[in-house]
Amino acid sequence: MKIEPIKFSQEASGRVYKDYMKRVRTTTASLSQQDQDDVYMEFNSHIFEAIQHRNDVAEIDALLNVLEKLGTPEEVLKPLIADKKLTEATTTFNPVHVFKALILNFTNGISYFIFFFLYLFLFAFVFLILAKILNPSEVGLFYKKDTFMVLGISRNLNNQGMNELLGNFFIPVMVLSIVLCYFILTLLLKLKKSINKK
Amino acid sequence: MNEVFLTNWKSQVKKGTLTFIILNVLKDKKYYGYELIEQIRKFTEIEIAEGTLYPLLNRLKTENLVDSEWIEQETGIPRKYYRLTNTGIKTLLQMNSYWKNLETAIQKIIQ
Repeated sequence: MKIEPIKFSQEASGRVYKDYMKRVRTTTASLSQQDQDDVYMEFNSHIFEAIQHRNDVAEIDALLNVLEKLGTPEEVLKPLIADKKLTEATTTFNPVHVFKALILNFTNGISYFIFFFLYLFLFAFVFLILAKILNPSEVGLFYKKDTFMVLGISRNLNNQGMNELLGNFFIPVMVLSIVLCYFILTLLLKLKKSINKK
Repeated sequence: MNEVFLTNWKSQVKKGTLTFIILNVLKDKKYYGYELIEQIRKFTEIEIAEGTLYPLLNRLKTENLVDSEWIEQETGIPRKYYRLTNTGIKTLLQMNSYWKNLETAIQKIIQ
C-alpha cells in the first residue's frame, strides 16, 4: 500500500506535520520495513482523520491539538516497539533481533534480566574463542584438584598446579556451548511469550 | 477528602478498565483508531492519551483478541479497522460475566 502524505493548506502545518512524521520514522527505525510502514500509516491516518473532523478550528490549531494528544513518538511508541521487536526476535531466530528485543524489554521485569545475562554468556563464549586463537596458552578451562576451576583467561596458572582440561577441544566445546545457549535462550523467550499469552 | 489519593485511584481504575472498554466498543462493529477513541469518549467520558491506544491495540492483536485490516479510502489515506476475533468474542463474554458478578458484589458493599 502506497503511503500518501497529508496535504495541508498552510505551509506551517505542513512543516510541523513533516517534522512529527520524521520523528515517528526515526523512532521505529529498528523495526522491519513492514512494521515501520504500518506504524507510520496508522499515525498518518489518525492525524488525517483528526484534521478532517476539526469543525471550525483552524488547520494549524487542529494539527497541534492532535499531535499533543498523540504524544511524543519517542515516548508513546516505546511499548509498541518493544512488543514488535520481541515478536520479530522469536519468529526469525536472528541474533540481532533477539539482542535488540532484550535491550528494549530489559526494564520490563526480572525475567528479561535473566535472559540478558544468558545472552551475555553467549557473547562471552564467542569472545573466549577469539581469545583462544590469539593466546592459546592462557585461555582454557583450568582446574586444580577439588578446589578451583576457571573458564577463561588466566596468567601464570600453570605454575600453581593448574591443569587445562579441554586442550584442542576448547574451541569445539565453546561453539557447542554457544549453540546450546542460543537455543535455550530462544526457546525460553518463546515459552515466556506463550506464558504471557495465557 | 484526600484529593491526590482520589485522583490516583481514578487513574488506576481508568487504566485497568481501558482494555475492557475497548473490547466492548469493538463488540458490535469494526472501528478505526480515531473513531474508536471518539466512541470511548462518547460512552465513558474518559480522555485517553491517544498515542497510547495504538500500542494497546497492538498488544490485543498479539493476544489474538482483535484483528485489523487496512481499507483504502477515497481520500487516499487508508484506515486501519479493528475488530474482535472469535477468541476475542469468547474472552469478552467471560470478562463481561466476571464484571457483572463484581458489580453486584460491589453494589452490596457500597449500599
